[in-house]
Amino acid sequence: MHELSIALNIVEIAEEELARQGGLRVRTIYIRVGSRACVAKEALSFSFGLACEGTVAEGSRLIVEDTEGLDLDVIRMEIE
Amino acid sequence: MTAQPRIVEVRERVLKQNDLLARDLRRTFREAHVHVVSMVSSPGSGKTTLLEATLTILGRSRRVAALVGDLATENDALRLRRSGAPVKQITTGTVCHLDASMVSAALTGWDLSRLEFLFIENVGNLVCPSSYDLGEDLRAVLLSATEGEDKPLKYPTIFNTADVAIVTKIDLAEAVEFDRELAHRNIQQVRPGMHVIEVSAKTGFGMDKWISTLTGW
Repeated sequence: MHELSIALNIVEIAEEELARQGGLRVRTIYIRVGSRACVAKEALSFSFGLACEGTVAEGSRLIVEDTEGLDLDVIRMEIE
Repeated sequence: MTAQPRIVEVRERVLKQNDLLARDLRRTFREAHVHVVSMVSSPGSGKTTLLEATLTILGRSRRVAALVGDLATENDALRLRRSGAPVKQITTGTVCHLDASMVSAALTGWDLSRLEFLFIENVGNLVCPSSYDLGEDLRAVLLSATEGEDKPLKYPTIFNTADVAIVTKIDLAEAVEFDRELAHRNIQQVRPGMHVIEVSAKTGFGMDKWISTLTGW
């Protein structure tokens, strides 16, 4: 159970990318999670909401694409 | 004024911070000529007993030290210090695994150039530690005879990310009707070609093979 630290990492990556892009806020984050990445998606969704609070990603959606293997990547974001 | 929504490509590993730090650690270990071995298993499979025996035996001819992770207590560090080796406890609080930053912080004040082998005993957990690179050269996964033969099938990821499998408490195999052949088959099914060593830290069985694996890696 380390989904909260994973969620915090995702938000951190989103914050950095938003700053690079000069955006105002993050609307959606698309991630890829492998079946062997040892991540519980329900726990990750719950943790993600907490991790976003008070950040530029507050209120954003997390879209998870399931894959095989060990993937755990942020693929793209919708920003404005 | 409302900004126009747009999609940007990111493509970054979620655990990239850990990966980068682990890469730095690995470089530091290489430069100091320290072999770093991590041990992962479920709680109670005999990591600390095996590590205590390893530190004692290997410590006769090599300079050894250990970091040991648990959620709470200094018990394991106290036990391991009986071997005479320097040992530091990492208490993770509620965190279920060690990560590279915890290892890095724990090494503060240690002169790595004085060491030849550093052992890192992870928190007892067969799930989360598999995702976190600690900068180690060798990752050993333990499976005790008392746990049953099907652990590799139930937790394939940890076996996939490890280099060596050690079947511990082999002195109890008969008493608990542990099917050694089946255990080996299950390990090979999950990770074909995996190097497997059977040991009993209590009787000393197999310790020579484990020690020569360490010194020859």
